[in-house]
Amino acid sequence: MILGTALGSVLGLASFGRSHVDHVTTDAAHVRHVFVIVLENKTFSDTFGTSTQDPYLQKTLVPMGALLTEYYGTGHVSLDNYISMISGQSPTKDTDDDCLPGFTGSIGNYNDVEQTGVAPQGQIAASGGCIYSRQVRTLPEQLERAGYSWKGYMEDMGNDPARESATCGHPTIGIGTDHTNTAEAPSAAVPLGDAYATRHDPFMYFHSIIDHPSCNTHVVNLNVLTQDLAEERTTPNYVFITPNLCSDGHDGAGTGAAGTTCANGQPGGLTSADAFLKVWVPKIMASPAYQKDGLLIITFDESNYVQDASSNPSTGQTTVDITFPGQTCCNQQPGPNLAGARPGTFTLVNTPTLVENIVINGYGGDRIGALLLSPFIIAGSTSSTAYNHYSLLRSIEDIFGLDGHIGYAADDPRTGYYLDSIADDKNIFHHLNEWGPWTEAPAGPKF
Amino acid sequence: MVCALLAPAHLMMNVPGEAAIPDPAPTASDLAALGKRIFFDPSLSASGRLSCASCHSPGHAYGPPNGRAVQLGGPDLSVQGARAVPSLRYTLNRTPVWSKAYVASAADRILEGNEPPAGGFGWDGRFNSLREQAAFPLLAPNEMANSSPADVAAKLQRAPYAQEFRRLFGTQILDDPAAAYTRALSALERFELDDPSFHPYTSKYDGFLEGTAALSAQELRGLALFNDSRRGNCASCHLDAQGADGSHPNFTDYQFEALGVPRNPEIRANASTAYFDDGLCGPLRTDQAQQAAYCGMFKTPSLRNVAIRATFFHNGRFHSLKEALRFYVRRDTDPKLWYPVSASGSVDKFDDLPPPLRANVDVIDEPLTRQEGAAPAWNDAEIDDVIAFLKTLTDADAQPASAH
Repeated sequence: MILGTALGSVLGLASFGRSHVDHVTTDAAHVRHVFVIVLENKTFSDTFGTSTQDPYLQKTLVPMGALLTEYYGTGHVSLDNYISMISGQSPTKDTDDDCLPGFTGSIGNYNDVEQTGVAPQGQIAASGGCIYSRQVRTLPEQLERAGYSWKGYMEDMGNDPARESATCGHPTIGIGTDHTNTAEAPSAAVPLGDAYATRHDPFMYFHSIIDHPSCNTHVVNLNVLTQDLAEERTTPNYVFITPNLCSDGHDGAGTGAAGTTCANGQPGGLTSADAFLKVWVPKIMASPAYQKDGLLIITFDESNYVQDASSNPSTGQTTVDITFPGQTCCNQQPGPNLAGARPGTFTLVNTPTLVENIVINGYGGDRIGALLLSPFIIAGSTSSTAYNHYSLLRSIEDIFGLDGHIGYAADDPRTGYYLDSIADDKNIFHHLNEWGPWTEAPAGPKF
Repeated sequence: MVCALLAPAHLMMNVPGEAAIPDPAPTASDLAALGKRIFFDPSLSASGRLSCASCHSPGHAYGPPNGRAVQLGGPDLSVQGARAVPSLRYTLNRTPVWSKAYVASAADRILEGNEPPAGGFGWDGRFNSLREQAAFPLLAPNEMANSSPADVAAKLQRAPYAQEFRRLFGTQILDDPAAAYTRALSALERFELDDPSFHPYTSKYDGFLEGTAALSAQELRGLALFNDSRRGNCASCHLDAQGADGSHPNFTDYQFEALGVPRNPEIRANASTAYFDDGLCGPLRTDQAQQAAYCGMFKTPSLRNVAIRATFFHNGRFHSLKEALRFYVRRDTDPKLWYPVSASGSVDKFDDLPPPLRANVDVIDEPLTRQEGAAPAWNDAEIDDVIAFLKTLTDADAQPASAH
């Protein structure tokens, strides 16, 4: 089923730069199953350096794969990063703050994007809002157009069917508070609790996906993945995996100490993220689809923050600045909607004894790193080429030979915006047909 | 704890150190049927006159049958309980275990509002399972006042359902007091989770949601006032929207809130100026005693069947719905209505908390943000509208006699 047919050309959303995909020059050309796991809020130097909470990732998986040391998130806080991965869209003043109203956006919650125009590179100019119209292009639409299959696998989605549906789970549009913002602890009726977060499920922010009945087969609970991995023909070409709020490291300090755990009692942090990877990465790597032509990407949405505290002895009022550098790579552009929102300083707590400011000094998502695993990867390799989530989108478009680069996945010579494709990184992939295991032509799309 | 709560009956039986049980294990329905008999059995109390159902009256939606701020218990039914009796309807199988999710990123904690703790059974959420909770009234000196689990087990031996107890758990079960006590708690739990009488969904509002009943103009006005986030803002905690699966709301988010309800002189313990019921941080709950920010917090109750109650809030301070709602909307605009006023005219606001802890009281969320002398969120006519709406939450079997 093709979603949103010919939408880009109808609305003039075609990219202004290199809209055609690139011929992949490494063995990544053989990849026909891409798996993406997105974790939450950790800095490269912690995840792949100082942390002792993720030994499986650091000591087992890194030596097996390729580490992208200069991989950046595209924004702060979470949702805009997820959206960039599947659409190339830059934030609105609401999606940059997880659609929590009253921060920089005035619409917030689970409401439609109020579009005011189209900026270069198909960027949606908007006064705010969160759910893009059917006309906005997405990677799923591109994949379907080319005959490739895709699915989003969301841990916990529908555990509490009163909270959200087990398929295509999202709040009712316009009802106000998104109750998936907070994890639900276990109860008799919901034995596992429910820590699905809509804001970590990018597919829910596009009408072209959620308005279509096929959303119920495309965006499903993670527990479906095991059976989908059983055969190559049942494994989608593009698999996007979002762990729950504990398994992705969003909640919990990772130590298990009282008062620092997830709602379900697990330690969270990189400890629970590592435990999640230890369960799911072996399953993926053992699957026929991965073994034949798979590529698994493990990354994060954004980096963590730097915290500064200062005390004013004359007033006794402590000021805490939670600072995001907001660094970008690759000459990333802010998009048309962030004036006044990024950079910015926002005072969210102001009491006689405490002032807490969130300081965001740029519009990027800072350095997070990414790990790639694949039969075509040079084990233990490293690349310091700069990438971000838009690069990831571009790379997937190249790998599958899709109908161009959408949004900020495309270059723009006028601004000097240029992205490298991970698929062409010869530090981590073998040269095409040089060393790789492939001796025959790659399989075509599945219809 | 959670696993024990949720495990099928046959998985709960072979606990090390407990008496062997017959094979096959009791079915959930057999357990629930036994639990029901225990629930209604006054012989399990020291007075011989107090059962679970005495305070959690089935005829009153499993809430209190009278307007006492707190109920009376103990060996001669003269000792006050600590807190008002909540209704047991609707919430039991939906109450999450007590939790306070820790969001790893300080930025997210601030941005997302650092949600308060939620869940657990009781006003302070100190029980994570109903079997734990059931043990408390059985042994509390001011409730059923048994001296020990063995004391309860001895009463079980004399109970009219003792033979049924043996049939389900083995002929020797009542010879093992610890095991018998544990089994009784399990049976109570099963009854409370499974019996349809705890979640009938027969109110007018349920009919309204199903399209089989219409709300009057006044009830609709009340619903709108209930939902208006700029004024009453009730629905922000007492959730009233249908679930994603069409399930009907239970009118609570299970979160904790510090409302600053006035001290209630009807509770004798309050005669001591040194006594404070600080809810989540004690004195009944002890594991959060060091969390000063939690002091004064009590769990948000369901509002289903609230209109048939005659005692409101954790300390039963108010005895009519109108009074309770007036407190919400005029707590800050007219504090002299609710709190002691000194000779000099100063108001001892939030007087049921020690002064250092009064900063915990919610002054951020509507309608609790207003200044003294400002207009309240609702006038009396609007309060009447909200009451009319709240009356639509009364189940069919709990309607006052005059309504039939």
